[in-house]
Amino acid sequence: MIPAKIEDVFVQITTDFSGIIKTIDAGNFVKKEFEVNQLIYTTCPFLEGTLEAIEKNQSFLLEGMVIASDNNEFNVDIEIFKNDDNIVILIHNRTNVYKYVDQLNQNRNDIFFIKREIVKKNKELDRLRKIADKANEEKSRFLAIMSHEIRNPLNSILGYAEMISSEKLSKNVAQYIKNLSSAGKNLKVIVDDILDLSRIEAGKLALVSEEVSINEIIKNCENDFQHQQKNNGVSLVFKVTENVPKIVLGDTVRIYQILSNLISNAIKFTEKGSVTTKVDVISEDDKTVSIQFTVADSGRGMSKEQTQKIFEEYQQNKISDNRIKGGAGLGLAIVNRLINAMNGNISVESKLDFGTTFFVKIPFLKPIKNKKFCSEQETKKTIINLKDRKILVADDDVLNLTIVQHFLTKEKAKITLVKDGLEALSKIKKEHFDVILLDIYMPNLTGEELILKVNDFTEFNKNTPVLALTANSTEEDVKRYLEIGFSGIISKPFTSAMFLEKIASTL
Amino acid sequence: MIAKKVLLVGNFGVGKTSLIRRFVLNEFSEDYISTIGVRVSKKVVEYQNETIKLMIWDVAGTNGDEKIPKAYFLGAHAAMFVFDVSREETYLNIDQNLQMVKDLSGLEKITIVGNKKDLLSKEELETVVKEVSIGIDLITSAKEGSNVEDAFMKLTAQTLK
Repeated sequence: MIPAKIEDVFVQITTDFSGIIKTIDAGNFVKKEFEVNQLIYTTCPFLEGTLEAIEKNQSFLLEGMVIASDNNEFNVDIEIFKNDDNIVILIHNRTNVYKYVDQLNQNRNDIFFIKREIVKKNKELDRLRKIADKANEEKSRFLAIMSHEIRNPLNSILGYAEMISSEKLSKNVAQYIKNLSSAGKNLKVIVDDILDLSRIEAGKLALVSEEVSINEIIKNCENDFQHQQKNNGVSLVFKVTENVPKIVLGDTVRIYQILSNLISNAIKFTEKGSVTTKVDVISEDDKTVSIQFTVADSGRGMSKEQTQKIFEEYQQNKISDNRIKGGAGLGLAIVNRLINAMNGNISVESKLDFGTTFFVKIPFLKPIKNKKFCSEQETKKTIINLKDRKILVADDDVLNLTIVQHFLTKEKAKITLVKDGLEALSKIKKEHFDVILLDIYMPNLTGEELILKVNDFTEFNKNTPVLALTANSTEEDVKRYLEIGFSGIISKPFTSAMFLEKIASTL
Repeated sequence: MIAKKVLLVGNFGVGKTSLIRRFVLNEFSEDYISTIGVRVSKKVVEYQNETIKLMIWDVAGTNGDEKIPKAYFLGAHAAMFVFDVSREETYLNIDQNLQMVKDLSGLEKITIVGNKKDLLSKEELETVVKEVSIGIDLITSAKEGSNVEDAFMKLTAQTLK
């Protein structure tokens, strides 16, 4: 005897060859849907056409079919056996099993479609990212062009200011020239900051790993700022603790940039008291040393909200700051990004009317021992003597040409001035020069085109150093100029000291 | 009235159930509920002065290379292979998939239908038609009801050959 529970999960029916139910043999599963002498197809439509096609004396299995009873659907497996007289049909209720299969199936398909949607969205994101990258590149290109366009007239402003300041002037005019020079220098800082930021954003900032003397950097800061600082009410203090290693590996220029930015900010916002720069070791092992630079001032301080925004671009705490104190509010944003690029971090503590302290922590690698470091003291200082040196200068900008002429005449150099690349080439072919200075953008033949005509130099100027006199001063520009044959770059705007030192170093 | 058994096969999610729903009930739902096993729908159609009861087997969609049980094809008079014009993977290996259906069913001709034409532009559809390596009988949209009737009529015609 079959147990009642088992009776509920199946039903066995016998039909004739045309599908008419002859007997209901066993089981209770959806039994009421079947009636003797009725067609089985009413409840099992899938058997219509199938029963006729089944071969005799062979068992046949249909899995996963659906039948309905009392508004419910059931998943069933059906075993069919056709003999000479009739067809025996065994219907198994498999709803519970198929319920899980159904769920798994639905999940699998849902995951597939979600995955597909993600791929589609990623493609869209990729497309948008490329558009944004292109726009960013355009922006960087625009900034580079604008920076070039600003640097050229700036060179004239600073150059003429320097020339005028060396003349006999009344006290008032001397002050005006000093102010003019100072404004020009501030403008140069802003142009450099904008370029730096765009370079960092474009991921083009490359830090160098060279031997760095922290003591030297601090000494340079001290010299520069003591010289610049005119407010007697503020004392500048510089301290380097003894355990700071003499040499670490890092980027001297960028470390100096970070510190000078923080110190100059501190001086800018401190009317009385002090600005203290301290260097300490916070941790050290055989290979690395973590150094903390602290710049503390007794200035006007900041509120909590202000300190939270201080590292954002174009951030000035007071709207009037950029007018009174100068700057575009990019300095700290650049400092923050430079420190991040060095795997370091910067933090700030401040109290309104009491002062502000910046903490910069940077991990440095130590140099491999026994490698001799050439300190600045050991480096031979360039001696500038350009007397009777033959120098060819090519620049289409008359103002710049006049400044260069002024600087070189003072050094008693023998100068040949030309206004474009073709004229320069003609001179190069005819006589020897000790140094050639070429502007890059010149009519008829650019400085870049001229340097590539190196074969025309061979007769008189085979070994003559050629310097690019240019406002294109990005790292990529400098690299390219050196690659195509320039011996060095004099970046506009330049001071007479920078200009003369660069020429002397190539001789 | 003669009864004819026809099957709809193809990858999951190509819209087999939606085509049947549109044809039998003139309904469409945006919800996607995967079909498990086989659901049989009936529709009586007139074709060339003949009244035919179509027994339409909605076979659960496969994952491309999964085999459909041979038992389903027993006594089948025609079959429709459905692919999704907006999903390359549903027609990329259409040659092999079609051969598999022919081998299992013993049918010589299978009706080929590309569904979901509402998701593509005219130009994109032309590209798909060029990409599909075999002749497509009809491009349909179960959502918009476009060409659905014609596709099933083509299938019905196939049952009489």
